[in-house]
Amino acid sequence: MFLEVKGLTKKFGGLTAVNNLDVTVNKGEIVGLIGPNGAGKTTTFNLITSVVLPTKGKILFNNEDITYCKSHSIARKGVGRTFQLNPLFGDFDVLQNVSTAFHIPDTSNLFDFYFNTRKHRYNKEKILEKSHEIIKLVGLEKVEKVLAKNLPHGNQKMLGIARALAINPKILLLDEPIAGMNPDEVDSILKAINKIRAQGVTVLVIEHNMLMMNICDRVVVMSFGQKIAEGTPQEIRDNEEVQTAYFGGGYIA
Amino acid sequence: MTADNHKFLADKGSILKVCLTASLIIFLFLLPLFVGSPYYLHILLLTFIYTVASISLRTITISGQFPLAHAAFMGIGAYFSALAAKFWGWPPLLCILLSAFATMFIGMLVGYLFSRLRTLYYAIGSLFFGIGVIYIIYAFPCTGGYTGMMGIPRLFQSADKLPYYYFFLIVAVFSIAALYRFEHSHIGTILKAISQSHLVASSIGINEVWYRVLVNGVGCFFVGLIGAGYAHYNMAMSPTAFDFMATLWLCMYVLIGGITSFAGPIIGTFILFLLPEFVRGLQIYAPYFSAFLLFIVIFFMPKGLVSLPNLLKDYFLKRKEGGGISNVSGS
Repeated sequence: MFLEVKGLTKKFGGLTAVNNLDVTVNKGEIVGLIGPNGAGKTTTFNLITSVVLPTKGKILFNNEDITYCKSHSIARKGVGRTFQLNPLFGDFDVLQNVSTAFHIPDTSNLFDFYFNTRKHRYNKEKILEKSHEIIKLVGLEKVEKVLAKNLPHGNQKMLGIARALAINPKILLLDEPIAGMNPDEVDSILKAINKIRAQGVTVLVIEHNMLMMNICDRVVVMSFGQKIAEGTPQEIRDNEEVQTAYFGGGYIA
Repeated sequence: MTADNHKFLADKGSILKVCLTASLIIFLFLLPLFVGSPYYLHILLLTFIYTVASISLRTITISGQFPLAHAAFMGIGAYFSALAAKFWGWPPLLCILLSAFATMFIGMLVGYLFSRLRTLYYAIGSLFFGIGVIYIIYAFPCTGGYTGMMGIPRLFQSADKLPYYYFFLIVAVFSIAALYRFEHSHIGTILKAISQSHLVASSIGINEVWYRVLVNGVGCFFVGLIGAGYAHYNMAMSPTAFDFMATLWLCMYVLIGGITSFAGPIIGTFILFLLPEFVRGLQIYAPYFSAFLLFIVIFFMPKGLVSLPNLLKDYFLKRKEGGGISNVSGS
C-alpha cells in the first residue's frame, strides 16, 4: 500500500464534503478519481496535501502517517500536486517556475543562499540541467523564456504538471489536468502522463474525461462525499449506480 | 559562473547602473566638502535614515504582505537603544547593535504571530500592533510618555554634524547593499514565489511561515538599526515620531518611488524629503504636494517614479513610429 486513505471525513459546518472515504493506491498505478460536481474530489486532494485538515480519519503515505503534517513537508516527502484552477508563479518565466520547485539539498543553508557560494552555484547549475529535462518531457522547450501568465491555457496546465514533477515526487496528484483543452493538447498530456508513469511515479488523477479514464488502471467513483464504486474503467462504465449518480435515476435505457 | 559574470558586464544597462550607483555614493561622500551648512547636513542625514527605513519596508513587501507597523519597529529600536544607553550606561554603539537584534527578534515574533494572516488582514493586524507599541511607550514612565524622552547619550562626543553624516551614510550604504543582496539571492526568489501563490509555494515544499518570519526579521533588523542610530543622534524623541502617520509616510516613499523596483524607495525618499527643501516658502504645502504626486503616480505610472525614464522612452518611440499599435506590454 503506497498511499492509504482510511475513514477520511471532512465537515465544513453542516456540510459533509468527504464522508468516511477509503482509498488505496498501489505503487506504479494510475488511479482515477471521478464523480459529479461537488462530490468532494478536490477536497480529498486538499486533505491529502494538508491544505485543509480532516475532521476524522487517517492518511498513510509509505506507511507513514501524514494526516497532520504541514503542506510543505508533505511535498518534501514526495507528494506532488497540481491545482484545478492552476495557480502559477505568473511573473516568473517557465524555466524559473520549474527550477524554483526543485528541492535544494539540505547541505546548503541560508548562508549559501545569501552569499551565492560555490556550493550553491553548483547546485543551481545541476537544477537548471534537470529543469531543462523536465520542460522537454512535457514539451514546453519552445516557450522556456515566456512569462507564465502570458502562456496559453494548455501550456499553463502543462507547466503545472512540470512544476509538480520538479519536486521529484513519488506520487503525483493531478486535479483535472485536461479540462478545457483541445484534442491535440489532450493527446500530449496523456503521452506525458504515460511517460511519467514509465519513470516509476504513481499517479492519482481527478478527471471527467473518458479519454483519461482509459489510461487508468483503476477508477474510484465518489458521490456526495462517499465512495460508491471502485473497479477497472470498463466495470465502472457498466455500473448502474455510477450512471445514476452522473445522469440521475430513471433515464438510463 | 565566469560566463555569467561576463554576461553581466556586457549588459549595457547594468554597467550604467553600477556606474550611477558608484558615482552617487562618491558624490555623497564628497558632498560635505561643498555643503558646509549644518542644516543641509541634517536634512541629508534624515534622508539617509528614512531611505533605510523605506527600503527595509519594501524588503518585507516582496513576500506579498504589506505591514503597516514599520515606523513602530523603528520606535522599538530607538527606545530600546535609548533606554539601554541612558539607564544602564552601555556605550551607544553597542546599544545600537543590540537593539537592532532585539528589533529583529520582536519582528520575527510578530511575523510568526501574524503568519496566518494574509494581504489585507495582515495589514490590519500589523497596523494595530504598531498602534499598540506606541501606547506601550506611553504607558511606561521611564520612556517619558507623551512628552518624550530627553538626555539620550550621544553617539559621538562633538556636536558637529559631520561625523553623524558619515556614520549614517556608511550605515545606509551597508544596509542597502545587504538588502540588495538579500533580494537578489535565492531567498528573494523564494519570497517572490510565495507572494505570487502561497498555495503553489507550499505544494512544492517551501515553508511559507519560516520565510515570512525570516523576511520580517531582516526588515526589522535594519529599521531597528537605523532607528537606534536616530535616537543617539537626536538625543530627544517622542513617540509621535513612530506613530501611524510616520508609517504612512514610509508607505508614501515606497509607493511613489515604485514598489516593484529596488531603487524605488530610494528615489521616493530623496524626492519627497529633499524637494520641499528647495522651495522653503512653500513648505507648509508639502503634504498637499505629496498627495498630488501620489495621484499622478497611481494614474500615470503604476510602477512608480522609477519607471519614468522607460515610460518616456516608450512614449517618444511611439511618436517617432507614427502612432502605430503600441508594442509596450501593459501591467
